[in-house]
Order: sequence, then structure tokens, then C-alpha cells
Amino acid sequence: MSAQPVLANPAASPGRKRRRQNSDGLPAALPWIGPVLLLIFAIVIFPAGFMIYNSTREISQSGIDQGSAGFANFADVFTDPNLPRVLLNTVVWVVVVVSLTVLISLALAQFLNKPFPGRTLVRMAVVVPWAASVVMTTTVFYYGLDSNYGIMNAFLVDIGILDSPYGFTKNVIPALGLAIIVAVFVSIPFTAYTLLAGLQAVPEDALEAAKMDGAGRFRTYFSIVLPQLRGALAVAVLINIINVFNNLPILRIITGSIPGYQADTLMTYIFKVLQFDRRVDIASALSVLNFAIVIVIVAAYVKIVKPMKEL
Amino acid sequence: MATIAPGPATLPPAQARRKRYGSDQVSGRRMGLRMAIGAVVALVFLLPYVIMLVGSLKTRSEILAVPPAYFPTEGLQWSNYVTMWDTPETPLPYNLVSTIIIAVFATLLVLLVATPAAYYTARFRFPGKTVFLFLVIVTQMLQPAVLTAGLFREMLVLGINDTWLAMILINAAFNLSFALWIMHSFFAAIPKEIDEAAQLDGAGKLTVMFRVNLPLVWPGIVTAVIFTFVSSWNEFAASLVIMSTAENQPLSVALTKFIGQYATSWQYVFGVSIVAIIPVIILFALIEKRLIGGLTAGAVK
Amino acid sequence: MKKSIRTGMVASVAVAGLMLSSCGFGGGDSGGEEEGSTSLDLLVPSYSDGSRALWEGVIEEFEAANEDISINLQVESWENLESVLNTQIQAGEAPDIYNGGAFSAFATEGLLYTAEEIASPETIADFQESFAANEQVDGTQYALPLLASARALFYNEDLFEEAGVDGPPTTWDELYDAAAAITETGTPGYGMPLGSEEAQGEALIWMAGNGGGFGDESEITVNTPENLEAAEFMKRMIDDGLTQADPGATQRTPMINVFIQGQIGMVYGLPQTVGQIEAENPELNYGLANIPTASGEPATLGVADRLMSFKNDGDKAEAVTAFMDFFFAPENYVEWVSTEGFLPTTISGAEEMSGDETLAPFLEMLPSAVFYPTSNPAWNATDGAFKSLFGQLGQGMEPAEVLEQIQAEADEAAE
Repeated sequence: MSAQPVLANPAASPGRKRRRQNSDGLPAALPWIGPVLLLIFAIVIFPAGFMIYNSTREISQSGIDQGSAGFANFADVFTDPNLPRVLLNTVVWVVVVVSLTVLISLALAQFLNKPFPGRTLVRMAVVVPWAASVVMTTTVFYYGLDSNYGIMNAFLVDIGILDSPYGFTKNVIPALGLAIIVAVFVSIPFTAYTLLAGLQAVPEDALEAAKMDGAGRFRTYFSIVLPQLRGALAVAVLINIINVFNNLPILRIITGSIPGYQADTLMTYIFKVLQFDRRVDIASALSVLNFAIVIVIVAAYVKIVKPMKEL
Repeated sequence: MATIAPGPATLPPAQARRKRYGSDQVSGRRMGLRMAIGAVVALVFLLPYVIMLVGSLKTRSEILAVPPAYFPTEGLQWSNYVTMWDTPETPLPYNLVSTIIIAVFATLLVLLVATPAAYYTARFRFPGKTVFLFLVIVTQMLQPAVLTAGLFREMLVLGINDTWLAMILINAAFNLSFALWIMHSFFAAIPKEIDEAAQLDGAGKLTVMFRVNLPLVWPGIVTAVIFTFVSSWNEFAASLVIMSTAENQPLSVALTKFIGQYATSWQYVFGVSIVAIIPVIILFALIEKRLIGGLTAGAVK
Repeated sequence: MKKSIRTGMVASVAVAGLMLSSCGFGGGDSGGEEEGSTSLDLLVPSYSDGSRALWEGVIEEFEAANEDISINLQVESWENLESVLNTQIQAGEAPDIYNGGAFSAFATEGLLYTAEEIASPETIADFQESFAANEQVDGTQYALPLLASARALFYNEDLFEEAGVDGPPTTWDELYDAAAAITETGTPGYGMPLGSEEAQGEALIWMAGNGGGFGDESEITVNTPENLEAAEFMKRMIDDGLTQADPGATQRTPMINVFIQGQIGMVYGLPQTVGQIEAENPELNYGLANIPTASGEPATLGVADRLMSFKNDGDKAEAVTAFMDFFFAPENYVEWVSTEGFLPTTISGAEEMSGDETLAPFLEMLPSAVFYPTSNPAWNATDGAFKSLFGQLGQGMEPAEVLEQIQAEADEAAE
């Protein structure tokens, strides 16, 4: 969707001077941005601050505050022998899910942009995973691939791909693989639609011109379509990074029954620390770490990719 | 170009698209191939939900059969869709009403507060604008699941714990950033000359926003609406701790009530999930055309 | 309830609710003390699909008999129960009455009323001694045992016959041979659920069968020679392929369902399993027997859940006492505990239910039951460690190392 900023760009340099006149100072802005600030300060700041505060406290198993812990919780977190594996999993998880999602969505958006009878129905079908709750979609995959009563597992056996039902959700590597597939599956609708919207902004005449010049399909795509999509792509990737990084339900359901921490990402690890170890303080410190990592990644991303020139 | 009525500006690309659709010289064979691919794509994306639907039409023991049967063998249990409204586990009709009210009002609230802010930040400069936009993005990065303890405490202090209002505010606050962001980019893409012409005619900022800009950013609004609605509709972590009365709980929490210590009523879990998808699909069907069709409008030079 | 009327009224009632709560800004469950009346928050897990209705029935009768006390019921799934509870405790809004498993950490932190404060001497005296003993920390009883269950061996008689095994095994070696014989026929011989759902349960059944256990109120002992032997035997069964596939990541509930569908030879089940078989596969030809042990001496896992009361700021002990006395009276308690399919913890309840045929075999096993050391404050963490780590036994890790890891977590929590 932010193919628009790109298009608006040529107008930006001459317009810059004029825009300066538009600056009326903060008081003039307040009525417009005030409600947003009010909502954020009223609702978001307190729990976020509470999480950070808790990360510096010593909290009992029952959740009672026992006094300051300084940075002891963070010391625990950074010396945790599970942390390297968990961070590695997180990186693999985010990189693989986001890149697969984007690649498939690019192709899918291209396809959904082509005219053919029944296109609207196909577009509607693609939206369904977006509308359904991630928890339920994941649950269907989980039970569908259960080695005993899973329909998908039975199907794989019936068509001869498997000799006997396989415990996809019970071993680290296949479970992580399955979780990645599910995450890609539920991320595609949003991404494909964002890109599809971006495709509408590709100028018709540029495509015609390329055709006239005898450019091949791939060259046209890479030299004309893709640059136009850059803005939409940048937004889609950013939102996906944040969401995939913070995703809990998919991994919790699919890898939840696997013992140990071999299949955990930072989010599921936080969840286990909270649920099984009952350490609110350590979980808060991990959450702060998680938050810091996302901010750094997003800040770096925004700096390098500049998804919104306006920022 | 600088007319107040933006209508005509939106037309050409749409027409162009329609023309292309009609005059595209693709062979029948290629068209057939596209339809085939389209069918496969639709099948892939619908498959889990078909499984869900079939599951919701089985009896409890059929769902747990080993080895599983692809289709119900004891007839389709459409009655599950009737009985699920009156189960002892959860007052489902109330849960549906709660979900609708929370999602609708959260979405409206987001539009109400995010639209002016998106417009203003896209059009005007003011000190602290970058800080403001960054603050907004940061809210997107916080995971509600790790904030529930603070949210619960906060709602107690505000005295609105266990009310719809609490969840409306929470959903609105945590989905604000995306809405503001996406609308910001759409407003920014509208040529400023349009505004300036309107201002010369003596229109105030509010009038310019509503009368001139809003009609041009429909795709952005639609995207923001779908986003906010879908994520409020499916929100779970905060609702679980804040909504303690069974009648107030949204469907996402109500679903977990069918999962007992020793047995789970999967037929209801699947049935409720199917029902929960429908309103979102209806919403999408109603506004899908505006998302794609209107989008070209924002891109006019 | 006429469904159509009820459904029809929902929308209007619900909309009115929004008006009230959003305009008044006074929603929530904080209203309570007005005009000498007390309101109690009751947080309970969902044991079965009837749990909510069952509690509602109890509350309705209680409120009719005690007009100055009202009760707010909150039912959550087991999976979510503790996260809801912990959030409430952190915010100083702990439920007045809570139905759960672990309690000792709450007690040592001074969050709970003592049993004497929340029940009359008659009610307390009615609990069977073995159960009451498990509710104590440092000699003081804090919680009231609500229900008990014991495990028994469920075996598929058809599969036994097919494999030529006669009669249920009573020792580990017999269990091993029976499982091997059944596995030969193509069906897994023994179902061993070591996934996070209840790894600690399966573990303790085996360890109790070798004279082991998890320790007592002062010390958690996981890494002991008896326990290690048991874990090694379990690993032998896994390595020799006598269990279902991937035991380390198998959850109990779905696995018992597989047994009910006739696809596993033997599992350790609960009283509720009997009812489930009736509901889901009445044709299953199965038998019930004692848990096989190393020596053949009976031993099983006993589990008890309890009611406890959090001291919030207001003095609600009196109202809680009224509720507990009402609830544990045999005319109310027996219906509750038998509908949920558990074993009673009171003397009077046990007398009334002694004729129950389904429960009889489990009642018989109770005297030999070994319980979790719930009165040890480090038990919570140990329980969590079992859930997240014990399944590694099914993934090739050495038993000694698994037990060492769990012991380490327990020791850390005990500090």
C-alpha cells in the first residue's frame, strides 16, 4: 500500500518549502493527535511499565512482590544455558517464516491480479485463514496431523506418501517445520492482499512500454513491477517480522507437548517460564529482552529500508 | 486536478482495469490453466476449514475414532449447530454478543482516534512528530500476552474490570498503531495541491479532511477496519484474565470451556470456530471491492 | 430453560449490560459489602462438561439458604486456571475460594486462611485422615481436600486374548512380557504418556511401584536409586518398542482416547475413564486391575485436589465457613463428587458411596496410594520441571540425567 509514498515522492522536493508553512507547533497538533496519545497513555503505558518494573523485582511463586532484585533477573536470563538455543530458534523461525511468506505472497498476489473467471471466489478463499483465529487454525493442523486420529496423517498414509502415521508434532524438527508451515499459511492472506493492493498502483503504460521493447516476462517483473511494489513490500515485511517474532499460539500448540527447550522460541520460552516455573520476575526480564530485540530489529529495519519516507 | 470533488479522479484507473480485463488476449487454454490453479489455491486455503466443518458435523465419538473416518458415518450432525447454543459449559449466545460488541466498538474507536492523527501527521509538521510516530509503532511491538498482569491491575484501578468497555479500550489501544500507520501512508500519497485548493476556497482543516481526503483513502480505511476487527474478534490473552464473568467473555475464551480435564467437546469447538469465521467473511465480502478497486485512487498522480 | 426465549432475550439483556457497565463505570466484581451482605469469588477448574452446571446448582441452593451471601462463580479450563489465578493474586484480587492442586507455596507466603478459620470443627473432623494430612504445612492444615482419584490398570481383553496373554500383569516383568506379546500383534502394548500434560503422574506411578516417591514436605527427592530404577525400566520399555510411538511427547488425554478406541493394549487410567468408555466406545472389552509394580506389592498414584481460601483484605472467613460447611455436608458433597466421577475425601461421603460399583476398585486402591508432596513449597517448581523435562526420557536421554535435571530445578526452588 505504500507504493503511494514512492509515487508521491517526486512532488516531495518542491513541496518541502511549502510544507514548512504548515507547521503550527505542538498546541495546534494536539486536538488531532491528542486522542491517540490519551488512549496510549491510558491503556498501554501502565502495563508496559509494570512489565519492566516486574523485571527488576523478586517475585514469589504465588506472584507476591518480595522487594527489589536489581538486575539479578537479567543476570539469570543472560546466564541461562537454554538462551542460545532459544535465540537461535527464534532467528530461524522469524527469517524462514517471513521469507517464505513473502515469496509465496508475491507469486500469489501476481496470480490473483490476473483476470480469470471465479477470481473473486479464489480471493475470498484466500482471506479465510486471516479471518479465522490462529489458535483454531493451528489446532486443526495439530489434530489433523495427530498420528492416531489425524485425518491429514491418515490421508498421507492412504495416498502412499507415508507407510504408517507419523508423529509430526512429537519430534523437534518436524514439529518446528510444521509450525513454520502453519505460520506461513496464516501470514499469507494479509501479505498477499497488501501486495495485491500495491500491484494496482503499477502503471499500465510502463508495462505496455516494456512489452513494446520486447522485454521478457521476468525482466518486466524485476525491472518494473518489483520496484513499484517496494513500498508495499516494506510494510508487509515489517508487520510480519513483528507478528511472527511475537507469535505464541502456533508454537505453543504444535511444539507444546515436546519436552525440553529444543523447540522453543523466545515467546514460548517466556510462556514456559511463566506456566511451569512460575517465575513472573524471570518471565518479565525475558519479556523486556524480547521487547528490546524487537525494537532494535524494527529500528534497524526502518533505518535501512525506510518503509515510510514520511517518517 | 484541484477540484474538491475527487470522484472523477478515481475513475480512469478503474476503467482501465476493466478494459484490460475484457480485452486481455489470453487463449482459452491459458484461462483454463488459471482457473485450475485458482481452484488449487482456493482448496489449499480452505482445506483446514473444511476439516473443521466436517469435524463439527461429527458425533463426539466419531471425532475420536481411530483410525479416523474422512466423513461422518452416522449422518451429518447439523444438530450440533443447534445444541451448541445451549450447552452447560458456556452461555454461547452471550459470548457471541460480547464478541460482536467488543469488536465493533473497538474498530469504531480506532477509526475515530486514528484517522485525524493519521491525517495530521501526514499533512503537517510539528515538533515531536517523529517521537509521536515512533511511540505509536512501539505499541505494535508489545505482546499483550506478557502484559496481562498489568492490564488486569489497571482495569481494576479504572473500575472497569470485567466490562466490555475494558476490552474495547484495550483492543483499540493495541491496534491503533497499524491503523494509524496505514492511513498515514494513504493520506501522504494524496497530492497536497488538492488540500491547498480547498483551503483557498475557505474550507477549514476538518472540512478538508472529511470532504476532500477521506473519500480518497477508502482503501486505507478498509484495511484498517479489517485489521482491527479481526484482531479484536480473536483477542484472547487479555480477555481471559479481564473478563471473569462467563456471560461477558468473548468467543475466543468461551471456546476453551469446551476443553475439559478428561474430555473435550471437539464438535462444539469446531462448530463455534466456523460460526466465528462467518461474520468476518461477511464484513470482508462487503468491503473487499473498496480495498482493491479504490486503491488505485490513492495512486493517482 | 426454553431455548428460544432464552436466546431471544440475550441480545437485549447484553445490550443493557453494556449500558450499565460503560455508563456507570462501576462494573467489575468489586461490589460486595453493601448492607451487611458478603460476596465471595469462587474460582474453579472445569473437570468435565458438567462442572459449571454442577457448581451453579450448589451455589443456587447455598444462596437460597444464606441470603446475605452471594457467590460469583468463575470456571476456567485447567490449562488457563493458574494463569488467571496468578494474575488475580498479583493484583491483590485473589479468589475467596479456589479449587486447585498446589497450595503450599500460598500457605508459606501467608496468603491462605487456615482450615480452622474456614470450616467448622465438625467439617474438618469428617475428612479422612490420610487426606487431611496432605493439606498441612508445618503442622497446620490450610486446605480442605475436595476430591481424590487413584490410578488403575486398564487393559484390552480382546488384545490380551489375541496375544495369548492370560490375565492382567501384577509385576513389571509380567507387564513387560504382556506388552511385548501385544506389540507382536501390531498394536502398541503399553501406553506411556510423558508429554507435558501429566508427565509427573506417569512418573510417580512407576516410581511408587518401586518403593520410590517424590519426597515429603521438607525435602523433594527425585534423584533416588528407587526412582532411577523405575525410570530405567520405563526407558527399557520405550527402547524395546513396547509403547506407542513418541512417548516423550504424548499427552495423556488423547492417549487414553486411543486406548478407548481399542488401539493400545494397556494404559493407566482414572475413575473417569470408565465413564468415557461407556460414552465413546461401549463395545470395548476391557478389564480393570491393580497397577503392576516391581515386586507385585500394590502401589498406585493418588491425586487429591483441594479447596482453599485466600485472605483478601475484607474479613470473609465467616462467609467462607458457611459455604464450606454447606458444601461438605454429605447431602450436597456426595452428589457433587459422584457426578464428577471422583472419590470422596470425607468419611461420611465414603460411607454413602461405598456401594458405587464403578468406584469400588479405585476405593480399594486408595490405601496403597502415594501422593505428590503438595505440602512442600518446592513442589510447584518440581511439578513444572517434570512436565517440561521428564519426556526427554522418550527422546533418548539417559534416565540419570533426566532425574538430575529435575532434581536441580527442585533444589533451586527450595532455596
